[in-house]
Amino acid sequence: MNRRTAITQVAAMLGGAFSAPTLLAMKRWEDYEQSPSFGTDFTLTENQKLIVAEVAEMIIPKTATPGAKDVGVPAFIVMMLQDCYKTPEHKSFLEGLGNLEKKQFLNLNTEQKTTVLKQVENDSVEEMKAYQVQQTKMGDNEDREQMAAQAKGLPFWRLIKELTMLGYFTSEQGIKSSFEYVPIPGKLEMIQMKPNQKSFAY
Amino acid sequence: MNLNLKSDKAHTFDAIVVGSGMTGGMAAKELTEKGLQVLMIERGREVKHIEDYDTATKGPWEFEHRGRVSIHSAEEYWANNRFGTLANEETGPFFTDDKQNPYIEKRPFDWIRAYHTGGKSMHWGRQSYRMNRQDFEANAKEGIAIDWPIRYEDLEPWYTHVEKFVGISGQAEGWEVLPDGHYLPAMPMSAPERYFRETMMKKLKRPVTIGRVANLTRPQPWHTDLGRASCQYRSKCARGCPYGGYYSSLSGSIPAARKTNRLTVLHDTIASEVIYDEKTHRAKGVRVINQHTMAVEEFFAKIIFLNAGSMNTAALLLNSKSNRFPTGLGNDSDQVGRNIMDHHLGVGANATVEGFENDYIFGQRPNALYIPRFRNWGTDKKDFLRGYGYQGGASKSDWKRGITMNGFGASFKEDMSRPGTWTMGFGGFGEILPDPSNRMFLDKDKKDKWGIPLIVFDAAFGENELAMRKDMMASAVEMLEVAGFKNVTGFNRSDTHPGLGIHDMGTARMGKDPKNSVLNKFNQVHACKNVFVTDGAAMVSSACVNPSITYMAMTARAADYAVAELKRQNL
Ligand SMILES: Cc1cc2nc3c(=O)[nH]c(=O)nc-3n(C[C@H](O)[C@H](O)[C@H](O)COP(=O)(O)OP(=O)(O)OC[C@H]3O[C@@H](n4cnc5c(N)ncnc54)[C@H](O)[C@@H]3O)c2cc1C
Ligand code: SF4
Repeated sequence: MNRRTAITQVAAMLGGAFSAPTLLAMKRWEDYEQSPSFGTDFTLTENQKLIVAEVAEMIIPKTATPGAKDVGVPAFIVMMLQDCYKTPEHKSFLEGLGNLEKKQFLNLNTEQKTTVLKQVENDSVEEMKAYQVQQTKMGDNEDREQMAAQAKGLPFWRLIKELTMLGYFTSEQGIKSSFEYVPIPGKLEMIQMKPNQKSFAY
Repeated sequence: MNLNLKSDKAHTFDAIVVGSGMTGGMAAKELTEKGLQVLMIERGREVKHIEDYDTATKGPWEFEHRGRVSIHSAEEYWANNRFGTLANEETGPFFTDDKQNPYIEKRPFDWIRAYHTGGKSMHWGRQSYRMNRQDFEANAKEGIAIDWPIRYEDLEPWYTHVEKFVGISGQAEGWEVLPDGHYLPAMPMSAPERYFRETMMKKLKRPVTIGRVANLTRPQPWHTDLGRASCQYRSKCARGCPYGGYYSSLSGSIPAARKTNRLTVLHDTIASEVIYDEKTHRAKGVRVINQHTMAVEEFFAKIIFLNAGSMNTAALLLNSKSNRFPTGLGNDSDQVGRNIMDHHLGVGANATVEGFENDYIFGQRPNALYIPRFRNWGTDKKDFLRGYGYQGGASKSDWKRGITMNGFGASFKEDMSRPGTWTMGFGGFGEILPDPSNRMFLDKDKKDKWGIPLIVFDAAFGENELAMRKDMMASAVEMLEVAGFKNVTGFNRSDTHPGLGIHDMGTARMGKDPKNSVLNKFNQVHACKNVFVTDGAAMVSSACVNPSITYMAMTARAADYAVAELKRQNL
């Protein structure tokens, strides 16, 4: 692979990466004296909250194990957007919700909803490419996505999917029902996978 | 200040150690074990080993933001947050609130601090490598900065002394570039890692080994005597380890010093100045400010060890002005605060690994692979000086892979509950050359809330570092490609600055000549012999290996010398 493209390529499928949503304090040195405000007001209408819950549940539906709604993911998403993201993401998230509202998302049947979300997903892949995402090793097992420049907030789909998965797979029920939860392994062993091996979660 | 005789006595010790972190802990241990009454002064709050590790045993769901950094926290911990993860709920409260403890960036500096018992030793990545013989000789050979006044052989016995006490797991390899130490059993490599190690040796002649890490794989009696136990492989070390499974001053040196009954510790006490006695040409004590009550007090001792962390130690020297030292204690050479070094990072490569589908790991290894320096080593020659090492390794992807993958719904959910493919990645740790124009100094006007001048940083990567970064990315990509891995992607973060490596050092360098250095070969301030600086400030060059074990070895050596000199009545 050509080295140049290697830098700017969108890292598609590596280890799994959380986004670094805004540049946050990265540029803090430039405005040492200023105190940028946080706690911007981000609120959703009741209808928008229903859409969030519905999309989250479509990402992680209730099956033999609990779904996103069962473990409180919808409220988690709203809280996370309020606490951990800034205006660019608030805008793109609301934009994404607005598009679903226009499509009368909540009134569609399951098949139609799935089709709509697949389209949203495909569109966001294109949007992400425009971001010049770099994936960076932050720790031994931690990757981060780092953006060279940020014109616009992360796409709606990327935000809701990431937050749904985070909220679900780190919830007590989500962890314990999806994985072999081993808080204190006590030993370290290289092993072979068993048939239908679930992931270990720690 | 008028202190009466009685309190004078209560305020007098054989030795004062400023800082309770990695090096302060080691200084206190060595000095108390050699019979000295030691006062340890720590500016931050008290953290009690085990008891105060309040996040250590929490489940992921018990953290409100599940490990993500909130905007609020990013603002409070604005410098810590540049690292990416340090301001989160797992460890954030153990790092320094940067808003309360500001500094000034003439040029950007990513300063990560942990003001509490144990300092950064509570959070370190525990990677422990000896510097090699050439690391001590390179400056002289290449005409860079000044020569080290010591050689590998001077530190060698002290490396061993410290490694045994600390407990380091690793594999002896017999490579000149990475001298072997005294090791507990190595942690295992995963299947793709073993493949990688073999392939690199075969195709590129590059050695790869398992990280040498200060986690107990087989505790020795002197570890269990201090209440330390075997690592449980939870890899939540940065939150504090309830088992004492990894080494920190909290689990190791401070308990050892306490055992002697000769240690007194003051918390919430900021050392603001070293008091110089014009008559004896010695320092006589330390002036401190209580961080809550603002009360000022003085403490006295025959010897003083400065272990506040490189940048704070230099600031303390600069703030200690007297007639003899108008620009700061020991600053005759004008080198205090200069030659800031660190290891630059945020550059490397990632890949996906095909195959090894059935290989998996039980337990979380708090460690990774290490690729020692291969650049400008042996016959290799590049257009930059020195080299870098890589840390990283293979991991089996978990549910997080789904974030960047297409798909949703029942089968997606099911898929996420199973292990995914392996990925492999490395980040480089590059040597930074000493340069006197990379410096920190005290602001003339701006002060913190205790009236101590703010530190101003004025440092940046030089040409050598920038050239090295390109090579760091390119050879990481090369190695992953040679190994035959897929989706190889290099990265070179452009938003990093000196400091981010959290290996800041060099602000009070050792040297043979008092005209161009601050400390002699035993870490004594040239012109004030009873003041010892044994944290990273003393470093003359940075090598590319994680430095803490070197700082600790230097500390133990200096403590040994200090006590011998006291006995000879030279101090
Ligand atoms: C996330 C992370 C990962 C790391 N990984 C590694 C690694 O893998 N390997 C490695 O070798 N190193 C690593 N390090 C670096 C390592 O932690 C430091 O090199 C080491 O702690 C430095 O020791 P020190 O004694 O100089 O400073 P510290 O450990 O920081 O201790 C300094 C102490 O002095 C106190 N203090 C400061 N100023 C004053 C004052 N004026 N008065 C009184 N007290 C004061 C502070 O509160 C602090 O407790 C890592 C660090 C971090 C944060
Ligand atoms: S991995 Fe080992 S040392 Fe780290 S926290 Fe767990 S038990 Fe302690």
